[in-house]
Amino acid sequence: MTRGKLVFKNLTRKKSRFLFTIMGISVGIASLVTLLSLGTGLEAEVKKQSQALGAELVVTPKGWCAYEQISVLTGETLPEAIPNADVEKVAAIKGITAIPYLVQRTAIKNQPVTVVGILPKPMKQFKNWEIDRGDYRLDQESAVVGSSIAQQFELKTGDKVTIRGTEFKIQGILKEMGNRDDLVIYLDLATAQKLYGVGDKVSFIAVKVDDVTQMDRYSQEIQERANVAVVSDKQLIRSVLAIMGTVRNTLQMIAAVAVLAAAFGIINTMLTAIHERKREIGILQALGAKRRTIFSLFLYESALYGLLGGVLGLAAGFALSFFAAPYIEQSEFTAFLGSAQSVKMFSPAVVGQTMLFAVVVACLAGIYPALKASRLSPVEAISYE
Amino acid sequence: MSEMIIRAEKLTKIYENGYSTVALQDVDLEIPRGSLSCIMGPSGHGKSTLLHLIGGLDRPTSGQVFLGNLDLTAIDANQLAEVRCRRIGFVFQFFNLLPVLTVLENVEIALMLAGTPPRGQREWAEELLDLVGLEDKLQARPNQLSGGQRQRVAIARSLANDPDILLMDEPSGNLDTKSERELLENIEKVNQRGKTVVIVTHSPTVAAVAHRIYYIQDGRLQKVAQNR
Ligand SMILES: Nc1ncnc2c1ncn2[C@@H]1O[C@H](COP(=O)(O)OP(=O)(O)OP(=O)(O)O)[C@@H](O)[C@H]1O
Ligand SMILES: [Mg+2]
Repeated sequence: MTRGKLVFKNLTRKKSRFLFTIMGISVGIASLVTLLSLGTGLEAEVKKQSQALGAELVVTPKGWCAYEQISVLTGETLPEAIPNADVEKVAAIKGITAIPYLVQRTAIKNQPVTVVGILPKPMKQFKNWEIDRGDYRLDQESAVVGSSIAQQFELKTGDKVTIRGTEFKIQGILKEMGNRDDLVIYLDLATAQKLYGVGDKVSFIAVKVDDVTQMDRYSQEIQERANVAVVSDKQLIRSVLAIMGTVRNTLQMIAAVAVLAAAFGIINTMLTAIHERKREIGILQALGAKRRTIFSLFLYESALYGLLGGVLGLAAGFALSFFAAPYIEQSEFTAFLGSAQSVKMFSPAVVGQTMLFAVVVACLAGIYPALKASRLSPVEAISYE
Repeated sequence: MSEMIIRAEKLTKIYENGYSTVALQDVDLEIPRGSLSCIMGPSGHGKSTLLHLIGGLDRPTSGQVFLGNLDLTAIDANQLAEVRCRRIGFVFQFFNLLPVLTVLENVEIALMLAGTPPRGQREWAEELLDLVGLEDKLQARPNQLSGGQRQRVAIARSLANDPDILLMDEPSGNLDTKSERELLENIEKVNQRGKTVVIVTHSPTVAAVAHRIYYIQDGRLQKVAQNR
């Protein structure tokens, strides 16, 4: 006979209560794990998207908030607010390349798809795009699509897509870039502006500078000439990370609260168990069990709830983040959290943190019941009816 | 007679919960080493209370209990637990066994609590169960045993750490006459091995085998009868 054996036999004696308590913890831990592992690749992913944009400066309408800045990287619909006059003013500055974007949305087979209006030639040069199939032609009736779009909707060159009631022929399919450019339908800028009725306005301007050391000067000059705001790619990354980080932390807090709620489940279960086993505690005391022995027996029992619930929760959480990740790319807040690359499965840090959290919480939850058990007077325990 | 292993001096126990109940008052008593004694008396008059105080399960309101030279009222809770573990074996009327453990494990757990490593437990536990005639029930659960068998497991367990004293609170209280006789045989066997046995009982059959009978009434020791 060992203490471990006794603890385990006591733990599992009420099967359903054991299961429900374990499930409480597992659910909390699973949500925590999902959110923790979804966030592990966040920074790398944001940097990658910013690199894909390929600009050192982004010219935005005045008064854009961080939320809209994120959308520059995620490809959400953006308000169109920079008039052509300003685009030309910016483009006229020496030493910079200005690439205007008009970001809109359409739907194919009821699925939302990003439509971007561009200036075909500068854009291709700017992005170093290569054509996979067909040719690179964008005009009133032709469009070019990213490789993922082609794959997802089984589009071939020559196929037609309808955007806002107008049919476009797919002239070309881009080579895979491994970033959000793959998820876009590209239209000629003027065509897109007419199609979406936005006059001569664009959403933002990506700016590449010839001399990176002069970035501040360029930024100032742009703002002097045109009625716009300018952010650097570094600022963009920082503010995106700040927002995403806040969102992630908030979600993780909620998950942590779920685990704390499960801790009350442990307390409840243990108090019930102690009430039921009062006489057994008395017997153990009569056999010479010291207070600290009784205390540790019950504390181990709680800790095991944490350990088993943690393991189960980890498994469920990893399964969940594996299967759920592809489906939560739709909103700007989860766009980075959810992309497959940002899910680092079985990260040792996540496993370690989560298990530690589960066991520590379970132990803390176990202290009060275990103290209560250890403080029972033997006579009271024995004469209890 | 020989040396006194248990001595109580002016033992008083008053329960205080809301109002005070005087369960035991100024009890002086001596129990010789190796004897088989009974404590008898009407229900609710303090017999169990006395047994608990002697066994270090509870502390008196005033007075002293000595086991040999050791004053139980002068030691702390851990030392008291140590005394219960090594010097005293308890058998209660109901509910002696842990229901999740097998018969064998119920005996082994007493050894475990005394610090015997798992490997050293089994053989001795089997021997003890053999002594009470339960060698074929080692793997049974308490709920698969009769009342008499359960009490015999409790006796086997009470002997696990080779205590000097066995304290039994109505061990045959819910047994039929045949089971009671079997139990008594086991108790006498244990007593003959040199253990001091103290039994709280209402049963004349049990009282008949005792060397001494202590009569408790209204929390006081009324008289001591010598059987032999
Ligand atoms: N934990 C307790 N709290 C309060 N009063 C108690 C407690 N235990 C016992 N008593 C009271 O002390 C008195 C003696 O009780 P005790 O259990 O010693 O009687 P007993 O002689 O063993 O009775 P029985 O033969 O019915 O077992 C009774 O009046 C009882 O109500
Ligand atoms: Mg009693």
